[in-house]
Amino acid sequence: MKVRPAIIAVGRTRFGEHYEKEPEKLIEEAWLRASAEADIERKSLEACYLSDYFLPITNKLGLEEGFLSELTELHAPMEVTRSFGSALSNACNAIQAGRYDLVLVGGIEKMTDRWDKIRDDLMLLEDPWSFYAGCTPEANHELMLRAYVKKYGIAGEKLEKLNVALAQVSVKNHLHATKNQCAQYQRKITVDQVLSARKEAGKPLGLYDYAPISDGAAALILTSEEMAKKYTDKPVYVLGSSSATDYLTYPARDDMTHFVVSRIAMKNALSMAGKSLTDMQVVELYDQSTVMEMVSLEDLGFCEPGKAWESIYKSCQDYKGYYEIGRKKLFVNINGGLKADGNPLGATGGAQIFEVVKQLKGEAGERQVENGEKLKCGCVLELEGFGTKGYVYVLGRD
Amino acid sequence: MSSEPIERRVSYLGDRLRGTRCEICGKEYFEIRDYCGNCGRKSFGRMTYTDLFYEKGKLEVCTLINEPTNKFTKLGSYIYGIISFHDGKIRVPGRITDRMATCNEAVDFSALEGRDVVPRFRRRYSVDKSDVIPTISLAFTFADEYYPHQEYVIAKPKKEYDSPGIVGYGVYTSRFRIKEGNIERSVPFIDEDSITAAVEAGKLALIHSGVDSALVGKIYVGSESNPYAVKPIASKVAQVLKLGEEEEDMQSVDAVDTEFACKAATSMFKDATALVEYSKSNIKYAMVIGSDNSQAAPRDCPGGELDLFVGYGAAAFLFGKNDVIAEVEGWYSCTSDTPDFWRRDGEPHPMHGGRYTGDPAYFKHVRKSAKKLMERLKLQVGDIDYFVAHQPNVQFPVRIAKELGFKEEQYTPMLKVVKFGNTYSGASPVGLAAVLDIAKPDDRILVASYGSGAGSDAYSLITTSQILDKRKNQKLTVKYQTENPFLEYVDYTTYRRLKIGM
Repeated sequence: MKVRPAIIAVGRTRFGEHYEKEPEKLIEEAWLRASAEADIERKSLEACYLSDYFLPITNKLGLEEGFLSELTELHAPMEVTRSFGSALSNACNAIQAGRYDLVLVGGIEKMTDRWDKIRDDLMLLEDPWSFYAGCTPEANHELMLRAYVKKYGIAGEKLEKLNVALAQVSVKNHLHATKNQCAQYQRKITVDQVLSARKEAGKPLGLYDYAPISDGAAALILTSEEMAKKYTDKPVYVLGSSSATDYLTYPARDDMTHFVVSRIAMKNALSMAGKSLTDMQVVELYDQSTVMEMVSLEDLGFCEPGKAWESIYKSCQDYKGYYEIGRKKLFVNINGGLKADGNPLGATGGAQIFEVVKQLKGEAGERQVENGEKLKCGCVLELEGFGTKGYVYVLGRD
Repeated sequence: MSSEPIERRVSYLGDRLRGTRCEICGKEYFEIRDYCGNCGRKSFGRMTYTDLFYEKGKLEVCTLINEPTNKFTKLGSYIYGIISFHDGKIRVPGRITDRMATCNEAVDFSALEGRDVVPRFRRRYSVDKSDVIPTISLAFTFADEYYPHQEYVIAKPKKEYDSPGIVGYGVYTSRFRIKEGNIERSVPFIDEDSITAAVEAGKLALIHSGVDSALVGKIYVGSESNPYAVKPIASKVAQVLKLGEEEEDMQSVDAVDTEFACKAATSMFKDATALVEYSKSNIKYAMVIGSDNSQAAPRDCPGGELDLFVGYGAAAFLFGKNDVIAEVEGWYSCTSDTPDFWRRDGEPHPMHGGRYTGDPAYFKHVRKSAKKLMERLKLQVGDIDYFVAHQPNVQFPVRIAKELGFKEEQYTPMLKVVKFGNTYSGASPVGLAAVLDIAKPDDRILVASYGSGAGSDAYSLITTSQILDKRKNQKLTVKYQTENPFLEYVDYTTYRRLKIGM
């Protein structure tokens, strides 16, 4: 990458239920934290990229740009996308093209305002034909698991281990979130809890396998490599970024067990960054369900197809804070993942970027891994829909 | 769904599962496409429609849904999964219907996966009373249970007859029953109504007849339980079954609903017969369907006495001049303004006219039409092999049959009210179908329907030798539907809930 976009500051709110706060208040909170970090006034912003999926539905806010303009008292160009990954992609393109030098990328979602209807909205967005046939946002994950188990012939004791491994994903993410002040669930859970929730539901996955619905906001300030040092000593660079798109209708896809978008985006992002898989030390995966974390490890190439659950199972027998894959440490979802950190769709990707940036800067506090010193590189996978779009960002520092 | 244009598009593609196949590479798509992704621009104009509606699929993977999205909550728990067709070339999402599930039941998914399933036409989900009713065929049932897979093979006509008649028929009743005393009655599943039953019966009639649906020029649907006050059932049937040539998302067919209580369908037998006989009509085949989710007030309310007899089902008959299985010999109809049974606009349940129901209504009209037709055709009771009458209960048709001089063996085969209940517009047609199921060539059948309000249509039909040839085309016979081991019996409360539906 000729011009490397640099993240000079990140900010976020706590994820969870914020019924007392307007969406504008949430994004302002995230922005204020980011701007304080880099000591930037809003008047310096040349453009804003905002992401949200459902504000027009949940809060009846159409033309979100107008609200942002009113809030920031800015008349700069503003664009709205769905995912944070998409907003960041636009911002990176603009920086690389030399169009702007300082932009704000923000993500916001307020799903709990519509908690009783949001699953319908989600399903209709994710996969309309499946929705018409009776699908729920959870069912596709369960079908993917069923297809996975069948494809790789996992049965008997192996299947039991796989089921435990998936439970361990959730347990591990909850454990991580206990150190995350911004996480929605800062409490530990047990493998038994996960398993009995599944049994109670009579389904392959249960309550503790899924990320919650959440409110929250995240923001970052992006500039060019050249300008970055003016604002911070420790910029984090977007070394590689890529996205890919797949069919909306999940059953119509060629592969029912993996997300092709993750594989393509990762491959392209790595090649753009000039990095290899082994350079990745911290990874934020899009664990909308425990199955998604498992298959994403395979999609991104960390594990062989059909094998990720074995690495998870082994690593979690005596969990040391990371997955051990091929004798290599891989820190996955240190913030608690979507499962425990929360999943306010439009802001989720922002929290993922936030975590990797904080880790690379050595500013992750209690959550910091490897003292921060050894950390050079990490990546983020964000998905839109049920793997309809995939965004991968490879982030690194000097 | 409140957006009608979206509803139109979804129902166009989803009501009758269809896809596209690339003639060059053979890749198949669920949905209609102008080109193939593999072959690019050269595939424009070389894509052909594939039709999954009459095919069987395979349930690849499934899960239990016990916390559905809002619109599906009335369905309770259900199995949902991915269904493949053509060895996995096409995969679609699908809900398994006709399955009473309890919340949090233990389901062995691997026992369900890999089994063959058949697409069914059902209501999609619940909507407000004023909304368009969404329908879809992404609902499936297991092929080895109540509803078997049947291929729709279009056969070249072998013989043209001088006078028109029935060329095929089909009866559809649901898998669910309520049994009270000696009478069993068909109960719709929660996603069924008179529209879905009409489509099912029509589909079965096409399969039985072997007639190309594109040659059907007219469709009549008689019903008194159309969920719409304004919007025909017939247009839905025409679109789903692709009656008439399809052109620009439209069917070259005349479709109309008729209403005259329980004779709404039989009344049109003569119209269909006349239409295919009239050379200038350019109509080779005409379909008549009687379909009802028979309405009745709850038992303890006014009009609730009907609740002891109402059933659910439909019968479809295809009329034409080729490969006729029963020629129409003649007919007679009579009418009088008799208020024995009615339902005011906007009222959910019909009312019953007490003393008007028997002698001055049913018996008077059925007696008249049957006698008059026999007189016109110079027939004696002994010339008739089977007698079919409208059957609102068991006593009425038996009494009139005896009064007309028919013997038990002549009228017993039509008595299906004991198995399905009174299927209103479908009642005498179901009786006729039951007789056609067993009739030999050259049998004469006298049908006398009855519609409250009031009137009766009598027909004389004579079976041909081709009735035997076509029997192999129909697995879902009346007998099959009465004796099926997969029938599921429900209690009164469930019956009322299912009847009200989504």
